Amino acid sequence: MRVILESKVRKKPTIPIEAESIIPRNFLKGTDLMVYEGNKERTLSELFWIFVEGTAVSPENIEVVLKGDASRIKRVGEYMDTGSILITGDIGMHCGNFMSGGTIEILGNADAWLGREMRGGMILCRGNAGHYCATGYRGEKKGMQGGKVEVLGNAGDFCAEYLAGGEVHVHGSTGDFPGVEMRGGRLTIGRDATRPCANMKDGTCVVLGNVHEMIPTFEKIDRRVLPEWKIIADVYKGDVANRGKGTLMVKIPGAA
Amino acid sequence: MLVNDVVCPFCGCLCDDLELEVEADRVVRVLNGCSLAEATFMNDTRLPAPIRRTSTAWEKISYDEAIKETADILKDADRPLLYGWSSTHGDTQSVGVHIAELIGAVIDNTSTVCHGPSILAIQEVGHPGCTLGQVKNRADVIIYWGCNPIEAHPRHMSRYTTFATGFFVPDAQRERTIIVVDTRRNDSGGIADEFVQIEPGGDYAVLSALRALVRGKESVIPKKVAGISKEQLIRIAGICKNAKFGAIFFGLGLTMSRGKYKNVRNAIELTDELNRHTKFVISPMRGHGNVYGSNEVFTWMTGYPFAVDFARGIAFYNPGETTAVDILRRGECDAALIVASDPGANFPRVAAAHLAKIPTVLIDPHVNATTSLSRIHIPCTAAGIDAAGTAYRMDGVPIRLKKVIERGYPDDAEILKKIYDCLNGWMIP
Amino acid sequence: MTELLVKNACVIDPIQGINGEIMDIAIRDGRIVESVSDRAEVIDAQRCLTLPGGIDSHTHVCGTKVNFGRYMSPEDMRAGRTQRRGRMHVTSGYYVPTTFGNSYRYSAMGYTTLLEGAMAPLEARHTHEEFTATPHQDMLANTLFDGNWAVMDAVREKNIKKTAAIVGWTLNAIKGYAIKLTNPGGTEAWGWGEDLTSIHDQVPHFEVTPAEIITAMIQANELLKLPHSVHLHCNNLGKPGNYQTTLDTFELVPDLNPDRQTLYATHVQFHAYGGRTWRNICSKAEEITRSVNSKPQIVMDMGQIMFCRTMTMTADGPMEFNLHCLHHNKWSNHDVELETGSGIIPVTYSKKSAVNCIMWAIGLELALLTKSPWQCLLETDNPNGAPFVKYPEVIGLLMSKRYRDEECATLHPDTEGNTSLCALEREMDWHDIAVMTRAGQAKALGIINQGKGHLGTGAEADIAIYPIRTDSVDPAREYRKVVEGFQKTRYTIKRGRVVSQDGEIIVDGANATFWANAKIPEDIRVDNDPEFIRRFQEFYTVRMSNYPVQEIYLPRGRRVDTEAFT
Repeated sequence: MRVILESKVRKKPTIPIEAESIIPRNFLKGTDLMVYEGNKERTLSELFWIFVEGTAVSPENIEVVLKGDASRIKRVGEYMDTGSILITGDIGMHCGNFMSGGTIEILGNADAWLGREMRGGMILCRGNAGHYCATGYRGEKKGMQGGKVEVLGNAGDFCAEYLAGGEVHVHGSTGDFPGVEMRGGRLTIGRDATRPCANMKDGTCVVLGNVHEMIPTFEKIDRRVLPEWKIIADVYKGDVANRGKGTLMVKIPGAA
Repeated sequence: MLVNDVVCPFCGCLCDDLELEVEADRVVRVLNGCSLAEATFMNDTRLPAPIRRTSTAWEKISYDEAIKETADILKDADRPLLYGWSSTHGDTQSVGVHIAELIGAVIDNTSTVCHGPSILAIQEVGHPGCTLGQVKNRADVIIYWGCNPIEAHPRHMSRYTTFATGFFVPDAQRERTIIVVDTRRNDSGGIADEFVQIEPGGDYAVLSALRALVRGKESVIPKKVAGISKEQLIRIAGICKNAKFGAIFFGLGLTMSRGKYKNVRNAIELTDELNRHTKFVISPMRGHGNVYGSNEVFTWMTGYPFAVDFARGIAFYNPGETTAVDILRRGECDAALIVASDPGANFPRVAAAHLAKIPTVLIDPHVNATTSLSRIHIPCTAAGIDAAGTAYRMDGVPIRLKKVIERGYPDDAEILKKIYDCLNGWMIP
Repeated sequence: MTELLVKNACVIDPIQGINGEIMDIAIRDGRIVESVSDRAEVIDAQRCLTLPGGIDSHTHVCGTKVNFGRYMSPEDMRAGRTQRRGRMHVTSGYYVPTTFGNSYRYSAMGYTTLLEGAMAPLEARHTHEEFTATPHQDMLANTLFDGNWAVMDAVREKNIKKTAAIVGWTLNAIKGYAIKLTNPGGTEAWGWGEDLTSIHDQVPHFEVTPAEIITAMIQANELLKLPHSVHLHCNNLGKPGNYQTTLDTFELVPDLNPDRQTLYATHVQFHAYGGRTWRNICSKAEEITRSVNSKPQIVMDMGQIMFCRTMTMTADGPMEFNLHCLHHNKWSNHDVELETGSGIIPVTYSKKSAVNCIMWAIGLELALLTKSPWQCLLETDNPNGAPFVKYPEVIGLLMSKRYRDEECATLHPDTEGNTSLCALEREMDWHDIAVMTRAGQAKALGIINQGKGHLGTGAEADIAIYPIRTDSVDPAREYRKVVEGFQKTRYTIKRGRVVSQDGEIIVDGANATFWANAKIPEDIRVDNDPEFIRRFQEFYTVRMSNYPVQEIYLPRGRRVDTEAFT
């Protein structure tokens, strides 16, 4: 079954919409769902043109397609456990919060907190991701714990902060402090990174481009060939500032 | 008439030993205060009455009219923003939270543009701190990091640190070592025993290096970190470890420079590490007189110190998303109530510009840069001058601000209660 | 005039000597009276268990430290959120809820009076502000004197009258109710990053020992004729082998007061550990209770822990730092000049941890081994051992051996060998529970005369009616019913008004704050003592005139006057 939601033109287009009800499982019982526009509760049909194609008996066969301007729509795919969501343009904050299964594909850019506290499943963002991609919530000790987030463009600051499990792959560059406070999982940065892995405790990060402003408290322990990436990389342990046992591998410029 | 032991409401020091000479409805002389205190009490020019913008000018309106119209604006909003709260007393802050809860607003205080990052850092690693008297009576090492107390908190050094006589530090100037860390030499740097000049944006790296040094990991540290020689870093780590009682005070140079809350977190973790060797504390130099009070009141009422979003009925908190600057920058809110602050002067231009596009109401004793962005400005008492109430010092000590004169203005808490009553009447039939 | 009649109540009122009688309770203008007119509103209790309102004699719900626990824990705030509903404000938080969250949840459990366990005098104004925002319970504040410089000086001079005068002035100034000592002397040592390890260690610089502080404060307390006794958090909290310190401390306590205990020892579970390290820690509940059973002058409370995520917060700064070094989680510390300290760290008590399991067992052992329920009161040192919403489970455990056995079967295997819990057959009855959750507290706090903890004529009409029929529930077998029954009253009545019904708050509430006004002879008053004033002005960072808490902070302050001493 495919559910197509096309956002309607709104009188106040900058008021954020919170739509954690948009997950495949919820459409098994119809499209009679509630979302919030600012502090007002709205039915899904007040804000979207809804088209349903085919039927489904189980949620894993449901695909939700979000069309039109979704850049102000937050929390799409929150607690999603199965099925798939396709977003044809940009998506607002907190897409895929707490997701544990299924797939989300974003053809445009994703705003901040993409895949926050994710446990499983897969998010593919074909554009850029905002700040705090694949991270956690304020005050929590663990960020993303499982699943995979793949960003084909760039990611903003604090990407994979508190990463505790799962895999984050940014094909482009990241902003400041990717992998900060990392304690597990794997972070791969295709291009450049600034101050990667500050204060990391555990986990592995690979930077295939240039590192700007390397944190001074990482201890270089090795130089090694990484066959997976066909590169030679310097291997660091850290962060020594906090007894960290993480691994940071940085490609040696020019070497291939 | 002379009034003793007056509390200055201006900055987070809340000095409570001022002596004021009062004549009728004005303060004519300020003793013991710094220049900022003097300006606070002496240059207190108020807006005479509520005003409303017309298409071409301002018109005077009555308080009742202003209150009714403010309630009207808030009632219809889909995403109202209530911002400010740091230059008034606790009752006003408390009514503000109740209004936010009632109408599903976002309520935020000026932490957003000062020590919000410190709060985020504390939420990650906690806060080893103390009241200022602990520092005054015990500290033999004082570090000012990214702040200039001589300018922003002029009596901080004489009341609590460098020049303050303490029980265990009777000869303060000789017995205390002062370290100032900043990107350029300021007035406070001038009186430091050790001035540490960091390259802009280098705070985080320096703090990491110090942590590693305190842990004995000297070999890892490169020869220079953010412009500071390894020798100086080793010397500073040594001074800290050998302190009997060390205290770090930090300001916006740390919280608002690149890396923001991670800088503060790193400073806190340095403090934590030092506690394994000696006694060390760390404290933010809070700016506005009662900004810490707004954090306290918000926290016991909503669970969060700032940036609280009631849109969904429950309290939600996510700085970066629910913070006033971010909401304005994204053009999210469709009405704003500003109380006891001046975002027009302190916010980034695009954020302030949005205030002019939406109906904005300002409740503040004085005409300020936000007035020109507002639709209505309602003048009121100034806490600590013509209104009494609670304020929380930068270290959490609650102090009662005094009412020293009567100027005939209504208290901002009273104005807000009336707005609340209007809204409550409309919302609960 | 408002009148209310509660009919068909199955009343247990230990102070009045009533145990399970079916009776009517007449209420007029907030107090219990002999009879009411036929215009009175009527509540039919339907023979349900009806007790005086619950009293928590040691909880952390208001003030600087509690609020800092909230401030640093957005992750907890999202764990317990409710929307604004009817009369109820928004609430957030599970183990450190907002003030309204605390108040509503206590009210739903039938609690109407709370003693905040630790208030630093310098920050008392904050505590009182939060009291006002905790509308459904009457409040009292334990006032911290453990590292009070003036007190330590007077103790060193062996001047009990002066000690009393300092205490009296302070309580009066900051509207405190009782003397609290938290790791006496240790919090001052912590000002230098140090701690004391026995009650005979000297406090750096002040040349007094915890034993001397405790002894002198007990004497000063009785000289002042304060309603409550000294309320003590012993030295060495949470350290393996600390039971000896606790026993040594108990030996210091004379029996000085015929109406109540002379020492209230709080959260004793945390002070009843044998062994030398965390690896060989074991229960010393038997030794502790043997001492208490022979000393009517001591009342303790359990400090029960329950398995959950929670927050530890105490004035005991050094203890929190030690705990932080074990847990590596976030740590806050807040020392208060010339007075005390404090620390906060989040913890998780887990059944996978042998230490945690032994701690859990010790709390229950203390209660079950103490012969008189009046001497071991029920609490969790909220939120240190567990948030107070766990009390009903603690009640269930005390009333049912089967419940305990079922829990024990899920614990770490080292629990059994290091505690005696499994061997304890005792099952407490409804009367025991009524003592341990209200009557005992009222007596220990000295508020029976204030109309608390009983339903006699003239008492405050604070009443909890639980959906429990004691004649048809067997608590030993049906402990789940007991737990559920104590979680939510059918009615909670506060000062004659129904404030909570089936867990829903139905009025805004307006609490009172009790504080002790000790009468002190003119000639020894410290506010007339130039040396006291000089030191205050010189070493505090607030002026002495700005220190007292104005009466405006206690909109319904209830002053408890004491008799003057000479």
